[in-house]
Amino acid sequence: MYRYWKKRFATTLEQDEELEAIKKELKKLVKKKFGGSLAIRMVDSGSCNACEAECNALSNPYYNLEELGIHFVASPRHADVMFLSGVMTFNMYHHAIDCYNQIPSPKWVIAIGDCVKDLGVFEKTYAIKGNSIEVTHYIINCPPSPKDIIYGLLKFAKKV
Amino acid sequence: MRLIARFAQELQNGIEIVDVYDKEVQKSLLSFESLKIETLTKKYPSAIWMERKINDEFGVEFIDSFDTRPLIKHEHFPSDIYPLRKDFNATEINFTEYKPYDYEAIGGDGVFQVAVGPIHAGIIEPGHFQFSQAGEEILHLEIRHFYKYRAIEKMCEGKEPMNIKKIVERISGNESVAYQIAYVEILAQASNTEIPKSLKQKYSTLLEVERIIHHLTDIGFIANDVGFAPALALGSKLSEEARRVFAKITGHRFGFGAIKEEITIDFGSLIEFLNYLEKELEFFRDWIYDIPSVWDRFDTTGKLSVEKAIKYGVVGVGARASGVKVDARDNDFYKNFGYQMQLGKKGEVSDRFKLRFNEIFNSIEMIKNFETYDNEGLEFGNFKDGEYSAFTESSIGELFMYLKIENGLVDRFFVRDPSFINWQAFHTTIYKDIIADFPLINKSFDLSYAGSDL
Repeated sequence: MYRYWKKRFATTLEQDEELEAIKKELKKLVKKKFGGSLAIRMVDSGSCNACEAECNALSNPYYNLEELGIHFVASPRHADVMFLSGVMTFNMYHHAIDCYNQIPSPKWVIAIGDCVKDLGVFEKTYAIKGNSIEVTHYIINCPPSPKDIIYGLLKFAKKV
Repeated sequence: MRLIARFAQELQNGIEIVDVYDKEVQKSLLSFESLKIETLTKKYPSAIWMERKINDEFGVEFIDSFDTRPLIKHEHFPSDIYPLRKDFNATEINFTEYKPYDYEAIGGDGVFQVAVGPIHAGIIEPGHFQFSQAGEEILHLEIRHFYKYRAIEKMCEGKEPMNIKKIVERISGNESVAYQIAYVEILAQASNTEIPKSLKQKYSTLLEVERIIHHLTDIGFIANDVGFAPALALGSKLSEEARRVFAKITGHRFGFGAIKEEITIDFGSLIEFLNYLEKELEFFRDWIYDIPSVWDRFDTTGKLSVEKAIKYGVVGVGARASGVKVDARDNDFYKNFGYQMQLGKKGEVSDRFKLRFNEIFNSIEMIKNFETYDNEGLEFGNFKDGEYSAFTESSIGELFMYLKIENGLVDRFFVRDPSFINWQAFHTTIYKDIIADFPLINKSFDLSYAGSDL
């Protein structure tokens, strides 16, 4: 059964050598700096859902982030890093900050997408507060592709 | 008649309530002195969110309404402002003191409440679900959204029509192409031109590719929610491949900015991919249709009855899986290119799962017929003042968009996302299902939060 599936996936998967090199380096850094395990809690503070879709894509067989020891966790209390996306709406403001406070220290925030930085194409309205949580690293683009995110994680891992 | 939307707009002499049905549009003008109107909720239960929204944004009172709680004004939102009125121009408001929200709850011996959200365990959008439970069985569910309320409608006001296109395409990432097509159709109406047939074919091609990507993602995730992970691996692999092809032909993985006045599509490589996808999908279907433990969970779960679907005016995949014939593509243009409405029977998770497979196969067939190498473009002239509206079938369901132009600027922009209706019928599907099935049922509808919240 295993061999059957391996064959099925191996024959159609397109290999990206640049991505493989980034992943290899990132895996080493995760091992060195985070004991081989980096837990991420994703919080959407008012995005269009494209950033979430790209983060979901990180688990597909093309990117397979889990093999690097990086995984998305269900609770902020299990997390090292918070992924923050969206414009930070008035109605999400307190919840997002609450989530941040629940993450045990040491903790870092990585911003996903242009919205967190400068609202992207959106403009300030009464319903948008804007982010006030301190961000360690910005991964920009609208939305950043899975490759952008993995590369951003590498830059982040080098930084801390 | 099916209620599509009820929304308000401010005119010089009062506030106008616009009721859009599938067969007609009714307007009633309320003077500023008495902002009161009869509720529609007795006949159309899904009017309740629309009316609560109007009440929050314009301060219009609905006579005999069974629910007058605030909708977009959450615990810290000032209750004395009416932000969509023309005299409200603030871009910054302050948090007020915490006002508790009165959730719907069922009482009784041993009945307890489970609160879920707004931040969920997975990588998904924020929204709150309040369950009333009797043991494992769900008795009632109240869905509370609008955590992502960005005030898109107000953001668009006072701008030139061409300048809000970039905002419109990012209202809901999964439905971006559908939003863009609806908007371009409105702009074409406003400048009194028609979209040439070959261009329309190209637009429809991109819309169907978007639908294919969305459905592929869902097929993987729905099966994953019953613990069948190999399907997620295969589904997410196929959707990634489709998204890469989409990026190749539009220049963007989500098709942001893809619907332009003139586009060229590399049909050759697209159809080559679709032939490959068709084969993979046939394998996928034959494989998963034969796994009994999956269907044991899919069958009889999350049933949306035909009666409820019609009563709530449910649209899109949710409606068609229950056997209700609603589809904005159900017209001569699409039929000429091989459109066939796919229908389910019982409205269970299994019907919605199968429907997504069938719709992908139909979309592939249509795209092959859409192939064109004509290069007709569209030219917008001056946008005339007036009111315009358009419908598109997004991957979730029927999208309704409305634009009013005054003095060349956007006076009112309104969108009714398919999710806005379907969320309201959602609670009828979960009665006596177990709470562990909730994520499965939720994913089988796969509704948008961002589009519904605006």
